[in-house]
Amino acid sequence: MAECCAVLSPHEQRLQEEMAGKCQDFGRPRAFGILREIITKKPKIDIERAKYFTESMKTTEGQPLMLRWAKAMRHIAENCTVYIDDNQLIAGRVGKQGRYGILYPELDGDFLDLAIEQLPNRVESPFEITPEDARVIIEDVAPYWKGKTYHEALAKALPNETLKLTYDPKDPLKSRFIVNETSSFRSSIQWVHDYEKVLQRGLKSIKEEAQKKLAELDPLSPVDQMDKATFLQAVIIDCDAIIHWAKRHAALALEKANVETDPKRKQELLDMAERCAWVPENPARNFREAVQSQWFIQMWSRVEQKTGTIISNGRMDQYFYPFYKKDVAEGRLTDQDVLELLECMWVGMAQFIDLYISPTGGAFNEGYAHWEAVTIGGQTKDGRDATNELTYLFLKDKREFPLHYPDLAARIHTRAPERFLYEVAETIKEGSGFPKLINDEEVIPLLLAKGAKFEDAYDYAVSGCSECRMPNVETYTSPCAYINFPAALEMTIYNGKMKLQGDEIIGLQTGDPRTFKTWDEFWNAYLAQHTNFLKHAFIQQHIINNLRGKHFAWPLGTMLNDTCMNAMMDIHQPHIPNGIDLGYFELMGYGTLVDSLVVIKKLVYEDKKLSMDELIRAMEANFEGNEVVRQMVANAPKYGTNDEYADAIAKEIDRKCLEFTRKYSKELGIHLDLRLVPFTSHVPFGKVVSATPNGRKAYTPLSDGASASQGCDAKGPTAVLISNYNTKNYDFRERAARLLNIKFSPVTMAGEEGTRKLVSFIKTWCDLKLWHIQFNVINKATLLAAKKDPEKYRGLIVRIAGYSAYFTDLSPDLQDDLIARTEHTTV
Amino acid sequence: MEGFATVSTSTGCVFNIQHYSVHDGPGIRTIVFLKGCPLRCRWCCNPESQIAAPELAYNPNKCIGSSECHRCKDVCPTGGISVGDNGKIVIDRTRCAACFQCVEACPSKAMHVFGREMSVAEVIKIVEADNAFYSRSGGGLTISGGEPLMQPAFTLELIKESLRRRIDVTIETCGFADWQHLAEVARHLKLILFDIKSLNAEKHKSYTGVSNERILANFKRLRSEFPDLHILVRIPLIPGLNDTEEEIAEILGFLQGMQNITYELLPYHRMGQSKYEFLGRPYPMADVKLGDERAKALKDWARATYPGAK
Repeated sequence: MAECCAVLSPHEQRLQEEMAGKCQDFGRPRAFGILREIITKKPKIDIERAKYFTESMKTTEGQPLMLRWAKAMRHIAENCTVYIDDNQLIAGRVGKQGRYGILYPELDGDFLDLAIEQLPNRVESPFEITPEDARVIIEDVAPYWKGKTYHEALAKALPNETLKLTYDPKDPLKSRFIVNETSSFRSSIQWVHDYEKVLQRGLKSIKEEAQKKLAELDPLSPVDQMDKATFLQAVIIDCDAIIHWAKRHAALALEKANVETDPKRKQELLDMAERCAWVPENPARNFREAVQSQWFIQMWSRVEQKTGTIISNGRMDQYFYPFYKKDVAEGRLTDQDVLELLECMWVGMAQFIDLYISPTGGAFNEGYAHWEAVTIGGQTKDGRDATNELTYLFLKDKREFPLHYPDLAARIHTRAPERFLYEVAETIKEGSGFPKLINDEEVIPLLLAKGAKFEDAYDYAVSGCSECRMPNVETYTSPCAYINFPAALEMTIYNGKMKLQGDEIIGLQTGDPRTFKTWDEFWNAYLAQHTNFLKHAFIQQHIINNLRGKHFAWPLGTMLNDTCMNAMMDIHQPHIPNGIDLGYFELMGYGTLVDSLVVIKKLVYEDKKLSMDELIRAMEANFEGNEVVRQMVANAPKYGTNDEYADAIAKEIDRKCLEFTRKYSKELGIHLDLRLVPFTSHVPFGKVVSATPNGRKAYTPLSDGASASQGCDAKGPTAVLISNYNTKNYDFRERAARLLNIKFSPVTMAGEEGTRKLVSFIKTWCDLKLWHIQFNVINKATLLAAKKDPEKYRGLIVRIAGYSAYFTDLSPDLQDDLIARTEHTTV
Repeated sequence: MEGFATVSTSTGCVFNIQHYSVHDGPGIRTIVFLKGCPLRCRWCCNPESQIAAPELAYNPNKCIGSSECHRCKDVCPTGGISVGDNGKIVIDRTRCAACFQCVEACPSKAMHVFGREMSVAEVIKIVEADNAFYSRSGGGLTISGGEPLMQPAFTLELIKESLRRRIDVTIETCGFADWQHLAEVARHLKLILFDIKSLNAEKHKSYTGVSNERILANFKRLRSEFPDLHILVRIPLIPGLNDTEEEIAEILGFLQGMQNITYELLPYHRMGQSKYEFLGRPYPMADVKLGDERAKALKDWARATYPGAK
């Protein structure tokens, strides 16, 4: 069963499963064939990007950073190997054939030598590297970066009190997963380009814009001549670099065509050569050029910088549509052609592996997950429904092509056509849970409240897990803090200490809770720890905001953003005039925290069924030999079950976070909004928190996003939604995404009737103004896991007409019976 | 909700409220299960529904075991709880005074009481929490059981209160009820779920404990006196009782010519089996099964032969 975004289910494993069982190719053998080819290959490290980037940076020291970056890009574009894969219709990749990852020494160069030595022997997701490449990294690349990387500078800049909540003070490479910064394992937050600009205008026009601006600069102004002129030169150099790189593909395609004996493939290569010679320099003239142009920009983004969990694809069904419509009308393109081209792109994406060298980065992105979210549906800039024929082709493709790339996100609004909702539901039922849904009715008003214009807010694109971007308006790319609030609770219980860190005082000394006479006393102590975390998260962010611009630049991301182009400032600069800066901070372990506070308030202070001492002793023993206490706490009210008692505490926690940011994000000049989107990080954050009052065992995962604690969603899917609705503070604009995973058993979705009810469930979710939802369709594997590990699946309900039961209450042979049935009913 | 002074104060015995039900009436529904049933169907998947009064259940899988916990034994005022050979609890139900102190004392919810007196206001509050789902799906409240008409006043009040709040409401009945009660309820409904198990009076008695005469009489009268009421006839497919084409044909034939009726066949399943154990009762169907293939064949045949399949 997938956790968080469903793409996180170990990708390789899923691929193999799918390919073993499901070999139907729907008349499109090309991409299915490539897929079959690549999944058997072990990923390799390609060092070219790191090598040429470093070579160039060595020669440009002292110059403005964006200019240096552009020059490095030019050096890479001129020297890197270019590739055209057999059978592919789209040219270009940014590393070795098969699955590959690339290196970003500006992030981790100082310890890259050590990491490279260990990488091939790593147990999970090992990478291959040739001895010669390893030598280059160890001898030429890594030494240059020692003392120059961003994370080294950040560790030095953090005050002691903040540092000890962030890193192990003895080894800043080791995150403590308490008040965790995420800015040092990636250069920016997940992002979306205005791809339409490239397709419609071409890079040539952006270059011309820069040249025109350059000519118009005040010749006597020092700011114009230094800052703006170098900015514009960087844009020009970067445009040229990308165009040059694309044209090298055109040359290679011609070369290959010349020696190709198969006339069909020869023609494909000649067509490809023509496309690569034309885009992305010029506006795309047809659908195939548009796809190639988008692909070049997408790929080059990866070369320019490590955009955290990758660069998303934006509203593909919108920006490709004019090309599609024209080509179909003129008889040049069939739907089958479209699907084949898109699948060629998906298999290209799947081959790029988002390699994390940093241990923290790896922990955040288990299985090297990356989400190049493709957004479909939603509304047009003037607020009309935006679905079109392409929207439905994306859904069809997701039902047919057995790959977890791309991550598909459907924007839902109250006037979404029934056909769209039905096809979305049908696609979800196919089993993998795609698409995830994002709610226009929640997102758009919030974007407006934060200063967006209607036309930009209506045109947002989904980015990464559940974020939303306005690609020409937003200018805040800084990754932000993930705050482990269950750790704040642990510090309340152990008077500023955490079990994992022994006697070190990490938090505030709020006293021994055994001496607290009332719930209010406990609550106030907790709030002190909670607020202390927020304080240090914001200090951390303030430092990060000011530091990143000295270490990172991004000519491509910058030149595709109108606001940055107008300001003539690199997007990493702390404040771009007229930009909307949407940052966030992450509330980790919401369910774990709330359920734990419920236990303390209700069982300890109100019902007096447990003394604080008994509870603490049970926690210290990890509930071993304390089954009575563990059962008591396990059976207390839970968040996510539409329980008023738990939801009241949950809402208050949410509110305390919002109040803090309302007060202090203003002085930082950004919106640091509350978010509940852990991707897979609830696992590593759980690894530092000892047993919690809700009965969670020590160092096991925290609850995920806005979902109920594991196994506690016992009142069914409507209750999880209602609890989310009841715990949100709609009077605060400082709220942002809440990620909600919800389990559904196939029997509740079966048939036309099941689809209809799933559609009404989605409509209700939309009415409730919840931000995100993703469905985990329970499959046989889940039931098998539940049989084996009933504790984790206490909430798993199986429903049959007129009857429902907790799966774990059923006898083993009945469980087997159901497992067998699920096999039939899983679509 | 408490603010509505007009909400009935009558109470009923409820043993379960299930949200997000998608199989028991239109749309997304909440099912309120009322306790007490005049029938004793051998295949009953909700044995806890049968007896009208609250009833003690014990789930040994959830029980911590006597090595760590014997709180139930300690609080039992009649000494009805002892420790068995396996370290788990043994209940002498003949001594149970239904005080349920053991339930209160049990930390793991291994001890559970099926059935709780609830007011109309309490039930409606829980039902209305899912209002947003009903309005989008055309769903609402389904009152089921047990047999809701075993608690006719409470059922009627629940129906009236739902309608006052514009919540769609239906009931599921076995039909074995006082006609006056059925008629009073039917007056308010647009749809009723009516179970018909067998037209064979003897077999019916043997499998359910009662004859079908009253049920069929009620059904016919309901049809003639409330022609606008849509009736969804639910036929459980039970091995030995009616799992042949002839027996199903009898039931479906009986429906022919009646207006405003749809039907559905619900294949027998054994999901309720563990609850018999929790209640300390034998499972009447033993290990009889209905194969998936057989169930599907009968459903397909019925659909092809008789109009009105849901």
